[in-house]
Order: sequence, then C-alpha cells, then structure tokens
Amino acid sequence: MDIGLNGQILVGLVIAPALLFLALAVFWLLGWKGQEKIVCALTGFLFLGLTLGTGVLAFRMVRHRLPSVSVDLGNWFAIGDYGFPLRLTVDRLSLPMVGLTVVLVGLVGKFSTLYLHRDPGHLRFFLLIQLYAFGSLLLFTAGSIDLLMAGWELVGITSVLLIGFFSYRREPVLNAIRVFATYRLADICILVAVFLAHHWYGSGLWSALITGEWPMQKSAVGGPELNILGVLLVLAACGKSSQGPFFGWLPRAMEGPTPSSAIFYGAISVHAGAYLVLRIEPLLESAPVARYVLMAIGISTAVVATLIHRTCTDVKTGLSYASMTQLAVIFTEVSLGWTMVAMLHIAGHVAVRTAQFLRAPSMLHEYRQLHAASGGQIGETGEHYEALVPHKLQLWLYGLGLDRGHYDAIVDRLVIAPMVCLSAVLNRIEPTWMGGSSPAKASKSEAEEVAGDLVTENSHDAPV
Amino acid sequence: MTHLSEAIPHLSLPLLSATLSFTMAACVLILVLGGSGATRALAVLCQLSSIGFLTGAAWLRARSGHNELLDPLWHQVKVDSVNEAILVLYGVLTLTILLLAPRRDATGGFLVGVLFLFAATVFTYGATSVAGFGAGWVLSALPFALGCFRTPGVAHSPALWIAVAISGVALMGAAGLMGTSGMDFSHANGLAMALLLLAVALRKGIFPVHSWLAQAFERGSLLPTVLFYNGHCGALLLVRAESTHLEAVVQQMLHYICWGALLTALYTSFLMIAERKPRRLLAMLCVSQASFILAGLSSGSHYGITGALIHWLVVAAASTGLVSVYRALEVRCAGVERSTEGHLGLGAHAPRLAVFFLVCGLALVGLPGTLGYSAEDLLFHGALESQPVIGVALHLATALNAIHLFRLFSRLFLGRLASEVAEIPDALFRERLPLTMCLLFLVVGGLIPAPILRHREAVAQRIHAALEHEAAQSH
Repeated sequence: MDIGLNGQILVGLVIAPALLFLALAVFWLLGWKGQEKIVCALTGFLFLGLTLGTGVLAFRMVRHRLPSVSVDLGNWFAIGDYGFPLRLTVDRLSLPMVGLTVVLVGLVGKFSTLYLHRDPGHLRFFLLIQLYAFGSLLLFTAGSIDLLMAGWELVGITSVLLIGFFSYRREPVLNAIRVFATYRLADICILVAVFLAHHWYGSGLWSALITGEWPMQKSAVGGPELNILGVLLVLAACGKSSQGPFFGWLPRAMEGPTPSSAIFYGAISVHAGAYLVLRIEPLLESAPVARYVLMAIGISTAVVATLIHRTCTDVKTGLSYASMTQLAVIFTEVSLGWTMVAMLHIAGHVAVRTAQFLRAPSMLHEYRQLHAASGGQIGETGEHYEALVPHKLQLWLYGLGLDRGHYDAIVDRLVIAPMVCLSAVLNRIEPTWMGGSSPAKASKSEAEEVAGDLVTENSHDAPV
Repeated sequence: MTHLSEAIPHLSLPLLSATLSFTMAACVLILVLGGSGATRALAVLCQLSSIGFLTGAAWLRARSGHNELLDPLWHQVKVDSVNEAILVLYGVLTLTILLLAPRRDATGGFLVGVLFLFAATVFTYGATSVAGFGAGWVLSALPFALGCFRTPGVAHSPALWIAVAISGVALMGAAGLMGTSGMDFSHANGLAMALLLLAVALRKGIFPVHSWLAQAFERGSLLPTVLFYNGHCGALLLVRAESTHLEAVVQQMLHYICWGALLTALYTSFLMIAERKPRRLLAMLCVSQASFILAGLSSGSHYGITGALIHWLVVAAASTGLVSVYRALEVRCAGVERSTEGHLGLGAHAPRLAVFFLVCGLALVGLPGTLGYSAEDLLFHGALESQPVIGVALHLATALNAIHLFRLFSRLFLGRLASEVAEIPDALFRERLPLTMCLLFLVVGGLIPAPILRHREAVAQRIHAALEHEAAQSH
C-alpha cells in the first residue's frame, strides 16, 4: 500500500503515542518499575517528534497547496457490505487541532515532570497522557464517524481515570463515577448516530456525508432523517463539552491533577465536542431542527454557566464554568454558520485556558504579590452590569448561580433517584425461587444510600 | 449412529475421545492421589494436552475442507466449524481457572470437579445427537450436585444444579417429541421448540429465570460457577437449532428469545443500580452482557449473528478474567466479599490486578481497541438493522453495564486503603501468566480482529443461510 510521504507522516503521528503506551504498559506488566527519568525523557522525545512531524506535514500541505491529506488503510474489519473504514484525514479543520494537541500535551507533559515528581502515580499519569494523545489524534484525524467514535471513547476513559487519579480521597472517586456515567449516556447518542449513518447512507465516511473542502463544505446527504442524525451528534458533542442536558460534569472533573485538568478541560478534551459540531456543520445546514437545537443549547448554557462562574469561590471550578461559557459561545457560533470564527475562537480559547489552568495553583500566591506590590490598592471589579439588574432579580440569579443552576438537584431527584427507587423495587420483587434467596432487600432510603456513588454530594469544589 | 458414521467423514486421529479419556483418567488419578501437592500440576498437564488435542482436531477439520468430522473411535462426538473455536477456548479457560485457583480452593475435589466439568462441556459441544447434547448438558452440573466445590462450613446454593436439572428435563422432553437420532431440529413442532427455548432460557439465565445465577455466584464456588456459565451451552443449542431447517412457525418463536434476551439485558442492568454485593454485581454483569449473545443469534441478521458469535468469545474470556481477579482479591483480603460500603483502595497494593480487572471489564462492555468493540459494533449493527428498538435498548444496557463495572472497579481498587488491610501481594507469576494471555487475546484480537471475524463469519453465514432458506420457503 503506497500512501506517500504525507500519509506516512500522518500515520506515524497518530500511532506513535499508542506504540509508546503499549511498550511502557507491557514492560510495567512484566515487572518494570517505571523510572521517572526514563518515562519523562521518552514522553518528551515523543512529543518533540510529533510536533516536528505536524510542522513538516503542515509545511508540505501549504507548499503543495493541499487542502487535505487522506490515507486509506482499508477496513479495520468488514462483513458483507458493512465495514469499519480506517481512513485518516487531516484538513484545514483538523490540522490546527492536531497541532494544538501535540504541542499542548507535550507542554503539559513537561510541566508534569516537576508537578508529579515522586508521586506514586507518576507512571500511571504518563501512560494515561500517552493514551489520551492517541485517542485525541485519532478523533481529530478520523476520516469517518466510526473512527472518530473510537478516539472519542478512548479520550473519555482516560479522562475518567485521571479524574480519579488521587484515588485515596473519596471525592475524586465519586466524581469520576459521575463523569463516567454522564459520558456513557451521552455516548449512546454517537453510537446510535454511527449505526444510523450506515443504515441510511450506507457509509460512515465523512467524504460520503460531506463534499468539498473545509470551510467550503456542503452536505452530500439530505432528507428528514438528517435532523435525527444531526440532533444525536449535537447531543453527543454536548456530552463531551459539558453543554445543555449534560452540563454540570465539568466542575466535578477538576478533581484530577492540575496538568490533566489543563489539557482535558481547558484545552483538548472539552473542545472535542466543538470540533464535532464544526465537522458536521455542513450537515446542520440541511438539518434545521438540529441547528436550532444546537443554538438553543449554546445560548442557554452560556447564560447559566456565566452566572455560575460569577459565584464560584475556587479557582479551578471558576475556570471550568468559564470554559463552559466559551464553549457554549462556540456552539452558538457554529449554529450561526460562523465556522471560521468558531475555529479561531477554539484556538485562542485552548491556549488561554491551558495557561490559566497551569497557573491556577500559584494564583493565590500571585494575587498576594500583586496586592503587596500595589500597596493593597486593588479595587473591586465587575459591579457595573450587575447594578443594572433589579435587586430582587439579582438575588434570584445569585441563588441560581450559587446552586449551580440547580442542575445536580434536578438530575439527582428527577433522574437518579427514580432509577434507584425502581431498582430497589425490582430488587425487592426479584424472584426468590430455586434454592432460597438473598437479593438485596433495600428500602428506598437504603437504596439511595446504596447508590451513593451515583448520587454524590454537592461538595465537588475542586481543590487548587 | 451407523448412518452418521457413514455420512460424515472421520478425523484422522481420535483427538476428541483422547481429550475425554485423558481428562477422565486425570480425574481418577487425582482422586487416588488425594490432596497431594502434585495434583494441580497433574491437572494442568492434562489440560495442556487437552488443549493440544482440541487444537489439533480444529486444525485437521480446517485442513480437510469438510464442515464436520466425526471422532474415529467414538462416533458420539464430532468437531465442526461451529464448535472448533469454542472447544479450544473452553480448554484455555479451564486451564486459566486451574492456574488461577487460589491454593485454598485447589483441593483434590475442586480439580476433579473442574476437569469433569470440562469433559462434560466438551461432550456437549461435540455431541452428534440431541440426546448426547442433553446428557452432557446435565453431566456438567454433576460436580456441583456432588459437592466437589463445597467449602466446609459454608452453605452453598443448590440453585445451579436445580436449574440445570429442570432445563435438562425440558431438553430431553424436546428430544423425545422430535424423535430424531441426530442433531436435527427440523421435526420440531411448537411444543418441542417451546421446551428447547425453556432449556435455553434456564441455562442462560434469561428473565424471569435468571436469579439462579446470582445465587450461584453469591453462595457458591466462584471460579467453577463462571467456568460452567461460560460454556454458553444454551447459546450453542440455539445455534444448532438455527443451523437446521426449522419450520417457519417454529422459527417465529426465536423472536421470543430475542425479546427475552433484550429484557434480561435491560432488567439486570437496572437491578445493578441498587446492588452493592460484588459477587451479585459480577453475576448480573455476566448475565446482562451474555444475553447479548442470544439477542444477536436470534436477530436473524448476518451481522448480528457474527457479532454474537464473537461476543461469545469475549464474554467467556473477559468474565473469566474479571471473576478470577475478584477471587484473587477475596483470598488476599478477607473483607472484600462482605464489603458493601466504601472503597477498599486495593489498587494501591495490587495495581496489576487492577489493570487486569479494568481491561477485562472494559473489553466486556466494548471499549474500542478490544475484541469486545468489534463484537458489539457488529451486534448492534445487526440488531438495529432487524429491530431498531432492540439496537437502541442494547446500547442503553451496555452504557449502564459500563457504569456498574466502573462502580465495582472503583469500589475494589480506588479509595483509601483500609487500615486493617495488611500488605497484600500483587498478581503472582502463576496468576500473571493466564491473565496476560487473557488480556492479549482481548486486546490483540481487538486490534487485529480480521482473522477471528473471518472464522466466525463463515459459521454465521451458514446459520443465516438456513434461516433465510426457511423464510423464503414460507413466503
């Protein structure tokens, strides 16, 4: 299979982190201790190489005026007419995302060398970062919705494992379960969308669904069913970017180490949803219902998230809501068809937010330095627009923000509690024949206690 | 049986009867030796040779180009394209259980029971007649009924062998009604098929007859129970029935199993929400994920059947890995079994066991890059194609199962290590070897699924062709 130099670079870019991950993981399983210096050096070399590779690929694309580079690696598996196409594509939309991923993951890796020095989970962190890089690169370079989903799931699982990184504390573990549950439920949408795309259009390849080169693409498919596909993909994007019905998990994810918060929730992972809606934007042009859903979700999340952001008392939670607000604005931009603006917004937001997250641990220290340097003359800010709102409404909005938009209460009472209750009832009426019984006999209150790991407390403010 | 021996070509070597006789001889030898330390080595050696024989039989069958080959010595057993992969897999699973069994479990009775269970299951897989199939089906529960896996002072649940006995009666009743000497279900009338489906439902733990499995997991010997369940004889019975030309009316009854499997997947995943006992959670995870096999097999779609046949391998390997790791933890840390509160934090001392558990679990629920992903991808595609509701419901069940799996993982391995837990060893070499093999199968099989897929697709094609043929005739 001749894939050319560009194709070879692209394939190398995607699989290099996976190969390093597999090599280190196998050595560790065989008994290797995972010395810090070796792990950090290998990771450093890897991301340096990936950055150079991305640079070379970008240079060659510009030089040869190539709008995109695609590599067909056949089918991962195929049965009859149905196959899982392995096509990698890098174009004007995915190349910036690939570049941001390799640069920022490399930087975060360098930052973590000191941040996690002598931490018992040092090797685990670096392994997960490598797996994450592979998942992200797969997601951004996927030439089909099927392959995108594979990267999507890998990003999700690494994200959850890093949220529970400090597993000796209860909150990270509980929040990891909650985030995992949210991810899995949102992922149902993308899974169903993949199968529907195959069912209705006979292929999951982007090139079969969308024609032209980004940003001048058009939908190659149509019909009322496109609205269903569009809504499912928008909902899946909401799950990854903490928007709309899946809004609320992002602050819980702040329990992980600060470098992983930076790369996942400031930079790449949360923007995967924004990338997806940008990728399917041509489809949304022919799917008005999906477009309006996206717009409604974007606007409503932006309003609520910015309100909550203003009531947050710790840095990382505040930053997470700020991220959510910007993502909601990006979603709105995409729904309006401003794809280039959205792309620039993503690039700028990723860079700024990563820097903010990485500086978060020293923010208090820096504020004190600034305070001392200014002779204690730092004035209050942010009271101009608030003063324009009636006092009663101010109080109500403040209450709404303080209780995180009542999101957790609503989900706990209207989604989790009924499910737990139903489960408890089912357990009680569970057949007890054949050899006696010992199913869990949980009363309602016991059942709520039992499902405590799903119904977590509201104390999820992240420590800095 | 004379007509069978004439109609079907023979293996050039009596590898199946050698497997059975070697295993039975090892059982007798272990019984004679009693509790000697060499018994486990003997059992492992015997199992290694059985795997060799079964692999050889599969290789000879593939090389011969025939769909099935009879054993030349004993015409009651055969190797064919349907059973060759699962015969080898079951041999490997038995070896895994023999190696992973903690020292306190691996008594003479346990080893004999496991080997007998293996022999009975091999006989069921290879049976050339419904009566033989039924005999193997019932015999596989004999070690449980005889108390081979009984721990002194612990009240074991009789649920498993009662379920098998009832299903065995149903199966024999169906065989009597059909009145066939071979593995031919084409004479099955409505009542015979109903009895067959009852047997399948009981054996596979399909709602509402699923509760025996949770009880067997909770109040039984864990490793033999999972080995017994992973025989998936119920699924094999369904495959055998589908492979013959069923009457159209009878074929319609397959839909009941499809809906039953779907209901089981959803019901057990809902039950798990309020469940905290690790053993029951494991049991329900197994039942829920294994019911996908039946849903795929009875979907009537080529993709669904292929997916189900691969999912069979995934469920067997992954659930054996999961349960083995859990049993290893139970032995290391006395409180695990009773622990329904808080997090145990065992990952701090046993990180490798944690990785084995997580990867096996994620493969079970279809993480990309594992064989479970390819299996579920095809299965869901087939289910959505034939019945969109079933496809969406299976997605929901998988999502819930994944959440429960992660809950169980976090309960066992995350959190602060309890102060009363002393230093526990990570995976021992004896454990690392089979668990690594299991992991490699799931991961390498997931990265390069084409060879496994090709093999299973050929079987699926045959089943699908038989179903299509009858559907076309009825039209």
